[in-house]
Order: sequence, then structure tokens, then C-alpha cells
Amino acid sequence: MAFSGNFMCTSFKQELLEGVHNFKNSGGNTFNLALYTNSASFTAATTAYTTSNEITNTSGSAYSAKGVSLTRVDPTTSSTTAFTDFADASFSSASFTARGGLIFNDSASGDPTVVVLDFGADKTASNGTFTIVFPTADASNAIIRIA
Amino acid sequence: MIHTNALGLSNDFSVQVLTTKDRGFTPEEIAERAADKIVSVSDNATPEVRAQAEAFRQKIVRLVTFYIHEGIKNDRTTVCNAIVDAGQPQLAELIRRL
Repeated sequence: MAFSGNFMCTSFKQELLEGVHNFKNSGGNTFNLALYTNSASFTAATTAYTTSNEITNTSGSAYSAKGVSLTRVDPTTSSTTAFTDFADASFSSASFTARGGLIFNDSASGDPTVVVLDFGADKTASNGTFTIVFPTADASNAIIRIA
Repeated sequence: MIHTNALGLSNDFSVQVLTTKDRGFTPEEIAERAADKIVSVSDNATPEVRAQAEAFRQKIVRLVTFYIHEGIKNDRTTVCNAIVDAGQPQLAELIRRL
């Protein structure tokens, strides 16, 4: 089993219509980014955060279960597309390897997933910094956009 | 005539992962990331517009690099003073000289 691409989770699309998720900077939900080894197998059918195949530290304690809480950026629009963004996320003094991640709603019941992120290859930080850079927040590239 | 508007969430997205070994990112590396967030140019832009955007981006990189260095220097002053207050002046001096 392995990562096989980036996916917008199908359950997330339904939950958007049900009002489960709030991405506003002020008063929005807490969204986390958890990291996984390449033994994880996530697809659009992935529905919730799991500890299975979540990474562990090679040394130190930079990473802990459920990963890092993301800083929300207020949703906005450009032409007819609505989109939202997160600030880049970093783990400092990090020693671990990750192949991909899950963004999930830590505020909502059951930790429902938002997107599956495939890093394309194992990424390793060793006594250094592990940074996830989110795409440009515009109508063509933003991490979550509705056209 | 009936007009319909499809609503779609795109699967076409990706993140970039940057890592370091035995160090943190330098101010210059962080400034490059900041500039990428501030300045972007359309794929359809003319060469003249693209060149102007790149020149502006380089100015942003230099400016942000300078102020990151300023932030580091000032934070180091605050940290060193706290260490001196804790009774470790030699350690504070070592950190000041980094």
C-alpha cells in the first residue's frame, strides 16, 4: 500500500453541504495536518484521521500524534471561484520521514478528513526543519477551491 | 433556455515540502518563500510584465531578508539578556556571537 496522489475527500464534499466545516480565520474550526509513512493508503474515500501508519520521530519529539494545527486564512473569492488557504506549517528540531499527510477537522466529531496530500516521495528532516508550503492562494492553485 | 452552473471542488492541488539537515532555514531561504506568497505572475503574462514582476520579487526578497535578520538580532538580544538575568553571562555571550 502507498500514497497514490492528492485527493479531495468525498465525505468532505458532503460535509460541506451539511455545514460541518468552518474555515474562517476567526471562530473557525481547528484543522490539523497529520503526517504518514508510505505504508498508508489514502484515497478520496478516506473519511477520518487515523493513527495507523502515522509517522514517529527518529529522534527528539518534534512530531506528536495528530500533527500540527494549521493557521486558517479567511475564505475569499476571485471571479466565480471561492477558495481558502492555510499558512505554511513547520516542525522545528525535527528528525523524521514522511511520505504524505491528511488534513482533518480536529474540532468536528470523528476527526473528518478534508484532503489527502501526497508528497511525491519520502521527505526527511534530520535535526532540522520540516516545512509544508501550501500553494498560492488564488483561484487556480489554492488548496481548497470551489469553482 | 435553462442555464446550469456546475459546482466543483478541484483535486488539482499540491503542496511543497522543504526540509533541512543539521540546521534551520536561512533568512534568505525564508525570504524566497515569503516573496513567492507576495508576488505571482500569470502564465499568460507578456515577457515584459514577467520581467517586471521578477524584478519586484527580487526587491521583496532583499527587503524581507533584511528584516528577518533584524528580527533575529533583536530576539537574540532579548534572549541573551534573559540568560544574563538567569546568572549565565558566559552562555549569553556565546549565543550573542552566533
